[in-house]
Amino acid sequence: MDFLAPLTVALPLVVAAILIGGAHLWPSQWPDAVAALTAATVAIMAVFLAGAAAKAGPLVYWFGGWTPRHGIAIGIAFVVDPAGAGCAAFVAVIFCASFVFSWGYFDQVHARYHALMLIFLAAMAGFALTGDLFNFFVFFELMSTVAFALTGYRLEASALEGALNFTVTNAIGSFLMLAGIGLLYGRTGALNFAQLSRALSGHSADGLVILAFALLIGALFIKGAIVPFHFWIADAHSVAPSPVCVIFSGIIVPIAIFGAARLYWSVFAGSGIAQAQLRPLLVWLGTATAVTGGLVALMQRDVKRLLAFSTVSHMGVLLVGVGLLSAGGLAGGMLYLLGHGLVKGALFMVGGILLASCAGIDEIELRGAGKAFPLTGIAYALGGLLLAGLPVGLEHQGRELIDAAAEAHGYAFLAPILSATGGLTGAGILRGAGRIFLALGPEPGEEQQSPSEEEREQQDRPVWLMLLPIGAMLACELMLQAFPTEAAVRVAAASFTATGSVVATVLDGATWSPPPAPPGVTETQMMGPIIGLSVALGIAALELGRHHFPRNLVRVADLALGWLFSALDRLHNGIVGDYVAWLMLGLLVIGGVLAIG
Amino acid sequence: MGASGIRTLSRSLCDILNAVGTSERHGTNIVTLVNFDYRGFDTLGEEYILFAAVIGAVLLMRTHRGEKTSARPGKVSEQPVPLRTDAVALGSRPALGLTLIFGMYVVLHAQLTPGGGFQGGAIIGSATLLLYLGFGYRTWRQVMPTAVLDPVEAFGAGAFVVAGLAAMAAGAPFLTNLLPLGKTGSVISAGEIPLINIAVAIAVSTGFAVLFVEYLEETREPDAGDEE
Amino acid sequence: MNHAAFLLPAWLFVIGLYGIITSRHFVHLIGCLTVVQSSTYVLLLSVGYRTGAGAPIFADHPVGSPAVDPVVQALVLTDIVVGATVTALLLALALQVHKRKGTLDPQRLRPLRP
Repeated sequence: MDFLAPLTVALPLVVAAILIGGAHLWPSQWPDAVAALTAATVAIMAVFLAGAAAKAGPLVYWFGGWTPRHGIAIGIAFVVDPAGAGCAAFVAVIFCASFVFSWGYFDQVHARYHALMLIFLAAMAGFALTGDLFNFFVFFELMSTVAFALTGYRLEASALEGALNFTVTNAIGSFLMLAGIGLLYGRTGALNFAQLSRALSGHSADGLVILAFALLIGALFIKGAIVPFHFWIADAHSVAPSPVCVIFSGIIVPIAIFGAARLYWSVFAGSGIAQAQLRPLLVWLGTATAVTGGLVALMQRDVKRLLAFSTVSHMGVLLVGVGLLSAGGLAGGMLYLLGHGLVKGALFMVGGILLASCAGIDEIELRGAGKAFPLTGIAYALGGLLLAGLPVGLEHQGRELIDAAAEAHGYAFLAPILSATGGLTGAGILRGAGRIFLALGPEPGEEQQSPSEEEREQQDRPVWLMLLPIGAMLACELMLQAFPTEAAVRVAAASFTATGSVVATVLDGATWSPPPAPPGVTETQMMGPIIGLSVALGIAALELGRHHFPRNLVRVADLALGWLFSALDRLHNGIVGDYVAWLMLGLLVIGGVLAIG
Repeated sequence: MGASGIRTLSRSLCDILNAVGTSERHGTNIVTLVNFDYRGFDTLGEEYILFAAVIGAVLLMRTHRGEKTSARPGKVSEQPVPLRTDAVALGSRPALGLTLIFGMYVVLHAQLTPGGGFQGGAIIGSATLLLYLGFGYRTWRQVMPTAVLDPVEAFGAGAFVVAGLAAMAAGAPFLTNLLPLGKTGSVISAGEIPLINIAVAIAVSTGFAVLFVEYLEETREPDAGDEE
Repeated sequence: MNHAAFLLPAWLFVIGLYGIITSRHFVHLIGCLTVVQSSTYVLLLSVGYRTGAGAPIFADHPVGSPAVDPVVQALVLTDIVVGATVTALLLALALQVHKRKGTLDPQRLRPLRP
């Protein structure tokens, strides 16, 4: 079974080269089919790997046959644990859905889009499976490079400007990560995760280790859109083609948080970085991200921009799950990652249908334009309800585990806050659903002109073919609950966090003894869903019915809240220099808090 | 305390590689041995970073111009094409040959002396600009048609993966060396390393050439006009 | 060599960032990004440096003679490729933006803003 590990990366890479090599020869739609099939194959291979790793413990694959000598790693290893392989499988499934969705979209570019997307897929699979710090960086950078190119694809001024901001901020992230790697290598003389962990454990964390940790985590938080590293996200996500947005929001952003978890447990868990400082830091960063993202999402009228900010908010919740630094919280985070990816992917696909069929993405201009697409509207509203906290599906199960872990660590008061932020993002989506698909809300006036330019995505594609992956993804989110997904994820989280056993398996070839899985949640708490759904439905109704309220009441409400929203709006100003200043501030905060401890 | 001022816990990896690299892999440039064998998988990713960037840049520039117009020479908008002086042409032609040979030398001696596929590929790629200076735009475009450059670049990138897959077909881990190691110090030694370097050099040099063509095309108007 | 070796990368990093934050032209900004990146080259190379040691290339001196760390040098090669690709892509984007907007001032280029 081991041999599948390199193939998950090598197969899409070699197919990408073949697609480019014969770029002018392929009949149209061939690249679509080849790419979708490749993604499906990768998904199947990764599922097999996850199954094998769940049974026998992490599979260790040494590239070039360079196995460790006297416990010292020479080459690069893939350490395939159930969580990593599961993550790779999930990535490949979303890619497959995205390829089906974009069928016929990219006919004009001679398979270049498909080749880039396959390289993207390979990079993420490698990122999820690798057990080597520098290899981790290489795949991180490969992801970024492809993402930079795909963002500017539409070649309109806004897309190019968004891509510029995205590239500059994320390139700085890469350099931060590289600096962190350099410092760690200087300290330990090692790049293998297990070797690093062994070298660092038992020593107190001095300034150098803390600096390296802050640099690495900061780099991943830039990609993971954690406040205040998140400013680039809306500029990039609202302008990239929708099938690419599905990948951006559904996978690339959450997988960066997964990467942060990987780094913490694989390398730093025994390094003497005090949990007493780290846990509150991550939990509060996560909460701040969830609140900020939710509020800013509510302000948006561009559907894709709204969805991008809702991703910020949900990444905050994910970070809370990871930041509790317990197997239970991590299991919750992983389930949340799966659920969020499926729902958010489906929602961006709805945005794609609007762009293709209604030639617009601005909620107010599109008022009533979606009446001809009832199924699309239902999918959009369902996605909004799920994000708001409908008590079904993987995302809800994840939230329950996160809430339980938060309570265990004395953060019980966070649960209602996180539910309310979910409600905020749901409110924005439901408001849009009401306005676009039911023509609710006031008629747009002259002054309501959209600030964005005219845009339209490739039309003449059958709507049913675009609805198919949306339906499949929402069905997965709801139906996977019936399978023992939740239990499997808890087992995966347990072996993910069993740092000592993994180190012994990788370096000494010790036999694997499965660690006990964290307990599941037995009784369902209805408080969260009630808060989330009432916030979502309440705000959506208030905004859509705004013109029915007495004028003075509306004016008072604007006065009371206007300053907050205009301040938030002014922060997201699109100037890349300011974004960079913010991310340096964030880095100082992380480093400062950890250094004081 | 290490020489660099960091309190070093271990230098074992570096010491092992410096001590056994040459006898184990029959190459004298340990950096190349690390890049193309011990940590060859990183380099595969690195090559694809370059590959993806070139595809991306082409996507951003050529798609906008239109695939067809890229094949024709054009004129610079609002300014005349600067005339080459004879001195430039005369200087560039011999320099072209010398640069190409130097590039190939750097590629082929990857496992022996400083250099390798990336460095040599960059030199060879830059030499194509001397072609432009020495023989003019039209010749330059005729010698390097984009319809040929793209597949050749893809071949160079794909060949590295295929080398990895070949090892798996033979029952060894991905990217294991299959060829005899040869005599240390000779150009044909260190197993697959020279072959992989040549593949990388092909990908890098054509990648650079594609980028040069695309950037120069960006400054030109699409309609065919007088040239030099 | 001592801690002073780390002042240079720190300086390059900070001065490059200062340039990015205050830049009024994207081509200048891309140049500053390259300065930030060169700080990682210097950092990696100084991490692998050993006093009195030669290059890890045993073509003209015997195996066993002191040599600096070959691993960081291999990492720097990847770093250089990353820098080149990011610069190439950024310049391609900047070219296209300039064609459409006629300016490359980050203060005047604000995505999705009137």
